[in-house]
Amino acid sequence: MHDTAPPPSIDVDDVTVAYNNGHIALRDVSFKLDAGTICALVGINGSGKSTLFKSIMGFLRPAKGGVRIAGLTVEAARRRQLVAYVPQSEEVDWTFPVSVWDVAMMGRYGHMNFMRIPRAEDKRVAQECLERVGMSGFKERQIGELSGGQKKRVFLARALAQRGRIMLLDEPFTGVDVQTESAIIDLLRDLRDAGHIILVSTHNLGSVPEFCDQVVLVNRTVLAFGPTEQVFTEDNLASAFGGVLRQFQFEQSTIQDHDGRTVKLLTDDERPLVFGKDGHLEYTDRQGREQLVKKREKEARA
Amino acid sequence: MTGLLAPFAYEYMVKAIVVSGLIGGVCAFLSCFITLKGWSLMGDALSHAVVPGVSLAWLLGLPFSVGAFVAGVLAALGMGWVKNNSRLREDAVIGVVFTSFFALGLLLLSLYPSNLNLRTIIFGNVLAISDPDILQVFVISALSTIVLGMKWRDLLLYCFDEGHARTLGMNTRFLHFLLLALLSATAVAALQTVGACLVVAMLVTPGATAYLLTDRFGKMLIIATITGVVCGVSGAYASYFLNGSTGGCIVVLQTLVFLVALVFAPKHGLLAARTQRRVAAIAS
Ligand SMILES: Nc1ncnc2c1ncn2[C@@H]1O[C@H](COP(=O)(O)OP(=O)(O)O)[C@@H](O)[C@H]1O
Ligand SMILES: [Mg+2]
Repeated sequence: MHDTAPPPSIDVDDVTVAYNNGHIALRDVSFKLDAGTICALVGINGSGKSTLFKSIMGFLRPAKGGVRIAGLTVEAARRRQLVAYVPQSEEVDWTFPVSVWDVAMMGRYGHMNFMRIPRAEDKRVAQECLERVGMSGFKERQIGELSGGQKKRVFLARALAQRGRIMLLDEPFTGVDVQTESAIIDLLRDLRDAGHIILVSTHNLGSVPEFCDQVVLVNRTVLAFGPTEQVFTEDNLASAFGGVLRQFQFEQSTIQDHDGRTVKLLTDDERPLVFGKDGHLEYTDRQGREQLVKKREKEARA
Repeated sequence: MTGLLAPFAYEYMVKAIVVSGLIGGVCAFLSCFITLKGWSLMGDALSHAVVPGVSLAWLLGLPFSVGAFVAGVLAALGMGWVKNNSRLREDAVIGVVFTSFFALGLLLLSLYPSNLNLRTIIFGNVLAISDPDILQVFVISALSTIVLGMKWRDLLLYCFDEGHARTLGMNTRFLHFLLLALLSATAVAALQTVGACLVVAMLVTPGATAYLLTDRFGKMLIIATITGVVCGVSGAYASYFLNGSTGGCIVVLQTLVFLVALVFAPKHGLLAARTQRRVAAIAS
């Protein structure tokens, strides 16, 4: 079935989106993605990432411009099960009486008959997708009784079970532990290598160069779009994030020459934790820590 | 022994028991969707909004259920329209629209008295239900059961995650309308048993009870339906001995079951929560 499908692509053309209250969330947004890419959608909170996803899915009607998926209208693409969408966690009702298995099965509805009675094939795919995200041991669990990372993985399994060639993930890494994050990244890489298009929104900058081929930098419009190396420049990031990025400038910090290249930087995408030589803690600012700087200098000379 | 079987000696009691059980079951099945979708208020609104339809149907010589159904759907569409085109919150919109319909219904019924009097519509009177009305109830129940039986998975997905339903190319506008239509239809059917005031209990309480007792939607449907049928049948039966309002008996019974579930539910009940807290305190 997929062999005859047109190659996936997302073509966002000059899209402007306004909410009912008149707030223009996106203005003149254009970019185009072709098969076999992971593209990051990067921007601060409120920059319009979720809004862009909803317009790509056709949930919000653009005031101007349009979206085409694999050369089709969004509605036609949806009917053909081309696009899978993993919503932001806040948008799910976690108290709903459905199990992990039920949710994975929902990914198959589009392939089922009028009464949505699962066939053996549907069960096999749902099972396989749960295994792929490492959640097959939790099939009977009610979805509210999962950790943040497990919840994300279940909805990822549902998206996989849909077998679309285009996947949109809204903030899949928020509230997720490091192992889950790298497991998800590995999975996305596999999908990319199989020719899928992955569009993933995030405000965690650190992981983007690690696994994203392209970046769309947004703040109510597209500030930059292209390969990661070209888009991820200091100027671009400064204009996208303004003053909200946390900085650790080595010159102003308590790090000194004697720390040399042994400096170790730990981060969970919040403020980095920096260890100097011999594993002592370093601080962002020298000011107010003159004592400490002197002590370290003495130690280094000794 | 013959004392306990006494109600079955009267044809009107047998009819009342059967009709109450049937309506109780259908309403209860639907109540699972209504409570999870957060439409409890909507159910209350619709059951009052059908009243002018009853009167107009009488004036036009149509079966009362047709008029009531049309009025219910119109009210639902009206609420949707006002909500989308004003800045009012949903509860305010529901409040305004359904009281207008209800008021219009009261006015029409007082100006043009019909075969169904005001008391019957507001409080129900299943003991005096006529054979054509029983037929209407059967037809509505059968249609609702068939539609729900075929489409419950779609409706479940629509209630749980409308975005995903749309992602899969489902027609969510149709599903929304379908759920509203089912709600109006069952509200009409239940009108005769318990009356406009208490319909909402039939459309909410069994679902709420079942939700406390299970984490699986399939089981929730079964538990709710059984509760609905049992309460309908035994409520109507008990009303013979109590010599009280049938609707009142049914709804009080449903409420008692709900209270028992609220306290004793194995996982989500008040007692279970307390035990869990105690176990956690001992373990730590
Ligand atoms: N339903 C809505 N109605 C009105 N404004 C909205 C709505 N949803 C989002 N917005 C506004 O649109 C902007 C973009 O929101 P969103 O797309 O959710 O941002 P992000 O996902 O990047 O954090 C924000 O300023 C937000 O307040
Ligand atoms: Mg968002």
